[in-house]
Order: sequence, then structure tokens, then C-alpha cells
Amino acid sequence: MISIVGLDKDYLIGSVTVHALRGVSLEIRAGEFVSIMGSSGSGKSTLMNILGCLDRPTNGTYELDGVRVDQMTDTELAAVRNRKIGFVFQNFNLLAQLTAQRNVELPMIYAGANPAQRKQASIEALSRVGLMDRAHHRPTQLSGGQNQRVAIARALVNNPAIILADEPTGNLDTRSGEEIMAIFQELNRSGVTIVLVTHEPDIVRHTQRILHFRDGVLIREEGVDDPVDARDYLASLPGGEANEA
Amino acid sequence: MSLLESVRLALEGIMASKLRSFLTTLGIVIGIAAVITVVAIGQGGRQLLIGEMENLGTNLFAVYVDWRETDTTGTEFQVRDVAVIKELVPEVQHLAPLSSAMDQIRGSTKQMNAQVIGTTADLGPVRNLKLADGRFLKPEDDAGGRRVAVIEEDFAREIFGRQEPLGQKIIIRNTPFLVVGVLTSETSMFSFGTGKTVYVPHRAWSEVFNSRQVNQLEGTAVSRELVPEAMQKTVTILERRHGAPDRYTSVSLDQQMEVAKRITGIMTLVVGAVAGISLFVGGIGVMNIMLVSVTERVREIGVRMAVGARRKDILAQFLIESVVLCLIGGAIGMMLGIGGAFLVAKIANWPPLVAPSTVIIAVLFSALVGVLSGLWPANKAAQLDPIEALRRE
Repeated sequence: MISIVGLDKDYLIGSVTVHALRGVSLEIRAGEFVSIMGSSGSGKSTLMNILGCLDRPTNGTYELDGVRVDQMTDTELAAVRNRKIGFVFQNFNLLAQLTAQRNVELPMIYAGANPAQRKQASIEALSRVGLMDRAHHRPTQLSGGQNQRVAIARALVNNPAIILADEPTGNLDTRSGEEIMAIFQELNRSGVTIVLVTHEPDIVRHTQRILHFRDGVLIREEGVDDPVDARDYLASLPGGEANEA
Repeated sequence: MSLLESVRLALEGIMASKLRSFLTTLGIVIGIAAVITVVAIGQGGRQLLIGEMENLGTNLFAVYVDWRETDTTGTEFQVRDVAVIKELVPEVQHLAPLSSAMDQIRGSTKQMNAQVIGTTADLGPVRNLKLADGRFLKPEDDAGGRRVAVIEEDFAREIFGRQEPLGQKIIIRNTPFLVVGVLTSETSMFSFGTGKTVYVPHRAWSEVFNSRQVNQLEGTAVSRELVPEAMQKTVTILERRHGAPDRYTSVSLDQQMEVAKRITGIMTLVVGAVAGISLFVGGIGVMNIMLVSVTERVREIGVRMAVGARRKDILAQFLIESVVLCLIGGAIGMMLGIGGAFLVAKIANWPPLVAPSTVIIAVLFSALVGVLSGLWPANKAAQLDPIEALRRE
């Protein structure tokens, strides 16, 4: 699904060149749930931007879903983001003036889908995250966890090859965070490839493989033998079993 | 992305901050309303002016002594000239000599100053004078040296009070004149004289004022097309008879109408341009707000780019938003402008002239203002780096 070889990313800040990524090579297979872990300045955000086709590497190759994307133009990258990548951000990044459903439709608008297709797909996506009944609410009328679920529905709506989640639980309380992880695990079980960036050790235990970064270098890969099932964790929390999700 | 979808996006953007959108549009509203109203007033005024001139008769012309060339002697015209010209120039339909003097006129109740014009029967049709009662001067009046007068209604009321003016006598220089006709006192922006005018036969005028002077000739051509020829031939004959080339000058109402049209056209253009400046200022207002809007919505732009908006989609979104904003302003301004034009027309009592071309130009212009004032902000939005944009709070 993702194949990266010898990736470098340099930034020029003033007259100083910063090597944000150095010689990173990695593989992510279809259907995997992988997390990228590292402290601030480890290069994980830079990697995320490149994985998400928001940025191009200085050197190295990046193949996504069988296509080389490292030398694409802005317009080509926009099309790749639209069709193959679903973003989930820490701060949700929903458009405040739009209803949940319109927010979910957004990627389809840029894909050129007609209103009927958009409506059907957005309702489908919202029901996958359990928010059918909130379709006409605006972000301000929803809780943080609900907003993040809308954002996941938006990431899903164009059936992307991969979902990139950047600290998706960072702004949420423990319960809401676990609910989001439960959704990710559910999606993963149904075949969706997910890459999650975080610095929270509890969260990475939900994924199957952890890539540790430090100073722009992939220092260690770690398989998770028995990933934590968020459903079990939610059931163990005071207040009972998982609600809504 | 379809245009319809882009317009929907733009409307969502506009509705997201209604008050600001309204205030932004206000500049365009006022600009378009001002342009439409001003141009409509200009065109209405021009229509009124030309209409009044046409009422006078477009075949009208006059011959004067060119006062720039020589000192007037008072003998440039002779009454005989008129008969000769009328005989020799078939293009001339009517021609009347005019001699004029201010003097005291005494009626039955009052005496007052008035302009006394000595002329012939031809002046009636030439000036398109309308009778309220009685008759105008006849050729026989002049031939017989009759002391008759035609006066205007308002003037008659002043010197005769409530008495019926027909059959009364007025005294000019101790000579009694019989009032045979009363003219309607029409209010026109081109009414000759002041309303206090007395028309008497030319021969009687010469005798009373003891003068053979003729100030000018006024006449009409048989048709509008023949006016220049009639004028030219009249002047040529006068020059030959008096052996004085370059001494006479002629002017036709047609020529003056052209001048009037040109002047009103220029005035409309100038005032319209001033109103256009307010539209320009409105456009700058739109640009300003669009720039603020882009700055405020950097994150939104980042999100749109992340989910697959191309740079040209972002460009189109803000450009269309600006155009839609200006078109809404243009539409409101158009309605206000048309309303304003009708209001002014009603107050000033002249035709409300809102030409369809003005409206079309106004709408196209507001769209153009939208494009021009949206171009820079939209381009700024489209050039944003998605990573930077997403990071912005």
C-alpha cells in the first residue's frame, strides 16, 4: 500500500538547513493499522505531511497504492489526497458554517460527485461512525467526540486507500478517545488501512505495529502482539459499556 | 466542480457572516444605485430638453448680423428683403422680420414695461404661437398700416385686470393699438421673452418708434432637411443685396439641438463618472473584506485543500464569492436606482428614463467589480501552503 525508500526532507530555515527526515524507508501493507510514535521534533509530523501528499520529499521515493507520488505537481497531489487519503486531525478541522452532512460531503464535492451520490455516501459514512441522527447538526452543536466521528466519516467518504490520523485523540477525554479508537479498530477490521500518529503510549497499544521516530530517523519497529481492544477497555471504564459508538 | 456547486459554496460563505456581507455589499448597492439614478436623470432631462425644442419646430432658423465682424448700423436688414427672399428661395416656408423695443404699455387699469415686437403674420407659424382668443397679425395689417396688437394672456391680465382684453385699446407711445388677439402664456423652458410681449405689425412699429431698424429675421424651411439650404440662400441674398459679405450669421434649431444633445450627453457622462467613482470605492471595500475573509479562513482553505481542493478550486471559490456578493449588491442597487430615478422624475416632472442598456451595463459592471476586487484575495487564498494553512489557529 505504502512503500517509502530512502526518504529525506530538508527545510531551509533562514540560512540553516534542517534535516527533518533522514533516510527513512518503510512499508505499510494494505489492511494494516500502524502507528507512528515520537516526541516533538522527531519528524513524525513531517512524515505525516509527506504520507498525506501535502508535501514532497527532498530525496527518496514514495509509492502510494502502486503509484509514485513523490514528484507530482500540486494539482496531481490534490487529486491523490482527494481519492486516496482520508485525513483525521487532532482539532477535527470541520467547517463551522456547514452541517455534519455537508462537512462529510466536502471531499466528494471536489471529486465531482453529483448531489444524489454525495447524499447517499455521506449518510452511509455517518452511519458507519454512528452519527446518522446528527447529520443536520453543526460542529458547535456536537461534542468533541462526535465532531471527531464526523471528521472520520469525512475521511471515509471517498473510500480512500488509507486513513491518516494525526493525534486524533489529543483533544478528547479518555472515554471519547477510546470511542474513537474503537471506531478505528472497527474500520480496520473491515479492511481499511490506517496510519496513526501520536505520542501517547496508551493509544499506540491499540494498533498492530509501532514505528518509533527520533531526530528524523526511524529508530525502531515494534510489533504489538495483542492489541488492546477499545471495546473491552470501554467496558472496563466506570460508567459501563461503550455508548453511542 | 460545477458552477452551481461553486455558487452554493459562495452563498454558504456569504451567509456565514451575514452582517459583514451586507455591509460589504452596501458600497456596491450605493454605487450602482447612484450610477443608474444619475444616468436616468441625465437622460430624462435630455429627453425633456429635446422634446421642448422639437415643440418649437425643428425647421426653425434665424438670421442675425454677425456682431463680431462689424458694428451694427441698424440697416443690415430691410423689410423688403423678406419679400425678396420668400420669392427667390423656395426652401423658405415662412420668414418674418423682427424689430424689438422696450417701452411703457398702458392698458385700462395699469401701465407697465413690455417688449414690443414689430413683425409680420409669418411670425405666428414660425414661433408656433398659440392663440387663446382672437387672431394673430395678418398680412393686411401691415399693408394697411393698421394699429393692432397681439398680447399674451398673463400680460393682458395685468394691464386689463378682469376685463376681456379683446377689443380693448393699449397705448404705446401715445398711439392706441386695438387688441385683436391673445396668446396662451405657455411655460416652456424656451419661451421667447419674458411673457410681457406685444406683437404689432412691422409698419406700425416703425412709425411709432420712428425707426427702420430690423434686428433679425426668423423663418422656417419647408422641411427639416432643407433648413441648411434655406439658411444658406437667405444669407447669400442678404449679402448680395447689401453688398456685405460675411456680415450675416444664421443659426437653426436643429444645430442647437445637436449642441444641446452633445452637452447633455457630456454632462451625463461626467456626473455618471462621478457616481462611478463611488462604485469603484465600493469595489475596494469588497476587495478589503475579501482579503480579511481570506485571512480569517486560512484554516478552512487548508481543510479544503487537504480533502482534495485544487488551487484553482480555491481561486474559483473566492472569486465567485466576490462576484456573487457584488451581483447581489448590484441587484439591490439596481432596484434602488430605478426607484430613485422614478422618484426624481416624479418630483422634477420629467420622463423617467431607465434605459435597458444602463441596467445591463450596471449588472455587468458589478460583476466586473466582483472579479477585479476578488482576484487578488482569491489568488492569495489559492497560493496558500496547505500545511501552513492547517497549522494556523
